[in-house]
Amino acid sequence: MQKLTIKKGFRFRMTGAPTNKLTVLPDPPQVAMLPEHIPHIKPRLHVAEGDTVKIGSVLFEDKRNPMFLFLSPGGGTVRRIQFGLRRVIQAIVIERQDADEPQKEFKAISDDDLDRLDRGQLVDLILQGGMWWVFRQLPFRDLPDPESSPPLILLGLDAKEPFQPEPAVYLQDQAPMVAFGLKVLRKLAGDKQLVVFTGSGHRSVIDQHGQWLTHIVSGDYPSDDPGTVLYHIKTAATENRAWYVAGQDLILLAQLLTRGRYPTRRVVAVGGSAARERQHYRIRMGAPLAQLAAPGTLNGSRLIVGGVLRGFAAPPEGFMGLYETVLNILPEGGEAEFLALYDPGFSKPSYSRVFLSKLNPAQLVYTCHVHGGLRACISCMHCAEVCPVDLWPQMIHKAIHAKEVEEYLELGLLDCVECGLCSYVCPSKIELRQEIIDAKAAYAKELAAKTD
Amino acid sequence: MNPIRKFFQTQRRHFAPDGRLARLEPFFEAMEKVFFGSADVTRLSPHFRDSLTVQRYMMMVIVMLLPCLFFGMYNVGLQAFKAAGLPLDFWPMLLFGAKTVMPLVIISYMFGFGWEIVFSTIRRHEISEGVFVTCMLFPLVLPPTTPWWQAAMGISFGVVIGKEVFGGTGRNFLNPALTGRAFLFFAYPAAMSGDAVWTVAVNNGPLAVDAVTAATPLVVTATAPAVGTMESALGEAGYDLAALFFGFYPDSIGASSTLLCMIGGGVLILIGVASYRIILGDILGILAMGYLLNLLAGPDSMPYLSMNPFYHLLMGGAAFGIAFMTTDPVSAPNTNAARWVYGILIGALTVLIRVFNPAFFEGIMLAILFMNLFAPLLDHIVVRATVRRRIPNV
Repeated sequence: MQKLTIKKGFRFRMTGAPTNKLTVLPDPPQVAMLPEHIPHIKPRLHVAEGDTVKIGSVLFEDKRNPMFLFLSPGGGTVRRIQFGLRRVIQAIVIERQDADEPQKEFKAISDDDLDRLDRGQLVDLILQGGMWWVFRQLPFRDLPDPESSPPLILLGLDAKEPFQPEPAVYLQDQAPMVAFGLKVLRKLAGDKQLVVFTGSGHRSVIDQHGQWLTHIVSGDYPSDDPGTVLYHIKTAATENRAWYVAGQDLILLAQLLTRGRYPTRRVVAVGGSAARERQHYRIRMGAPLAQLAAPGTLNGSRLIVGGVLRGFAAPPEGFMGLYETVLNILPEGGEAEFLALYDPGFSKPSYSRVFLSKLNPAQLVYTCHVHGGLRACISCMHCAEVCPVDLWPQMIHKAIHAKEVEEYLELGLLDCVECGLCSYVCPSKIELRQEIIDAKAAYAKELAAKTD
Repeated sequence: MNPIRKFFQTQRRHFAPDGRLARLEPFFEAMEKVFFGSADVTRLSPHFRDSLTVQRYMMMVIVMLLPCLFFGMYNVGLQAFKAAGLPLDFWPMLLFGAKTVMPLVIISYMFGFGWEIVFSTIRRHEISEGVFVTCMLFPLVLPPTTPWWQAAMGISFGVVIGKEVFGGTGRNFLNPALTGRAFLFFAYPAAMSGDAVWTVAVNNGPLAVDAVTAATPLVVTATAPAVGTMESALGEAGYDLAALFFGFYPDSIGASSTLLCMIGGGVLILIGVASYRIILGDILGILAMGYLLNLLAGPDSMPYLSMNPFYHLLMGGAAFGIAFMTTDPVSAPNTNAARWVYGILIGALTVLIRVFNPAFFEGIMLAILFMNLFAPLLDHIVVRATVRRRIPNV
């Protein structure tokens, strides 16, 4: 077990952390799949409104890579397929059949079967089971090519972004699944390294799963991100295209393979200062948000599916996404504060030392206010001070603005872990994270065009 | 409802995209931000943002400049009354100083902010609150006798040529306030140098005087006779260490008090607005070059060479420049290593210009402007060196 310290980053002193209580919620009447929020995917539908589907029936495939299948999280009828601008598929809503929900059977394998399978057969099982999505490839965070062999696989059992589910909660009683999942990963990795890490604060995870861990990471957000860990442990450029899996997704994969059924439940956290019940829930995948936050209690607060820094805002009638494991509810912030400029700011959250809140030990309320208008970059360098992978985001911003592709690649654009801290700290309110994500996506497209 | 809020809400429609004054929207927005925070909410993740804004950032600098401004008013009055032989009462002196200084400050704001509005309207960019700092810095480094029209010329040159023609705040490579000051220095040398400009003549009442000539410390050092030490020459002129430290001597309006600049710079470092690397670099550079000159000084060389280097920090605008001018984040380098080099070179150049170039006895202004030009180069070197150490990822 190696110790790894990541110095840069930021710890949010934010109220509304969920407790470790875990409640199992009943099956909701509807579940949904949100293709819009699966990055780098161009969906081709296999179903139409009114079709009947089973748990595990194919809903859509990726046009570019038809072996990537995305399966239905529920059995019943496709009630609605919701399109957005430019016919982007926002949601496929499935009306569940309540009594004996139909379920597709997949091949279940035992520990011994797994030993006998070769890598190709295992990959086929995962692809047919519609769970290749649990693997993501850095730096673009797209689905990796199943044929290729990863230079490194990272498994993160950590949660630093406000407020992701505690690993200790979702790992409860899952030790056999973790062991099986790790075996799968080792098979996929071949002779390459498998990195399993958790944060130094997660004592119970270290105690219970210590035999699997290769790294104990200490640091603030986003030291829980596989990209951050990779940046700090990589020794050669060949390792840049490492794969990673989230801890909970690995458990789902192991469930698919051992039980031969498409997994339907995962643990999510509900947090944020405007949330009524702040705790962990075991819910159906793609469950409606109304099940987690009663629509009457919201008072116009914002529902954020996913972490506060990387998630997306959703309407109260929305659904959980495929990858998202948290629902945060934050107050929007209300009307502009009078004389805000002259407020000593004892309870104003800030990275800088300009406000008295630096002396305030309490957890603070964060709102969705931007707190100011867009301004030109004044090179305050706060973004560089927090960047966990030693980038100069403001220089990348200027290079992107000038369309200097070589320049921003050289400055390390692809090392960016998209943590959003630069956007958070920017006093000029520049959307650095979005700019960098867009530049990365454009470059990924260019690379794809080159290889075709 | 709050009447100010009501006023802004009723006037907003004129500045909306289809309103009569749509092009002045940046002006309306900047004015609104003086009274209100922002009601805008995030559209993209991260869903929350830091409470720090550019307004707040710049306001902290202005707050730290206010003591210098008030001290400047008092000191202008004090020097004028001393020269005229009037009784040194606090309030009349402050009032006299305010009457001299405030018009310059107001002119600076009128013209500086005016140009910012003009350019934000034409070039369609936001008004950056940095201009409020520029407009405060500029009058503080002027001699108190500066004619109003020259102050207007200076700030206009600083804001337009020093900043706006390059695209506005964030794209300027020179410090706009110093650019304006340097423009006046070279365009109107008679009004900007010599002994007469640093003390305002009191020309009313029975003790009216037309002009006062009291040499500033920097003039004393630049013209000191070749006998005796520099410290004694300064002492004879009435500028002992305490006077230099507290700033009670004729100089530019707000730059004379080393004490207030130390407090201002210290607070700015503490709250993270000013880079401690630049400030320490400046001080280190001045002291190092000062001691180096001490080592080079022989018995026959000019006494300026063997002056205690700490005097360089106390005299003239050095402390003000270090605390408020070198730390302008836009025109300084962005990388930490480059900031050290930048600071040290500014300090060294300041001493060199002061000692070896008696025509420009205020070395720090030129040293900062000169190093502003080199800031991008210093950054470039640091960036190249750092990028080479990264494991490439393309």
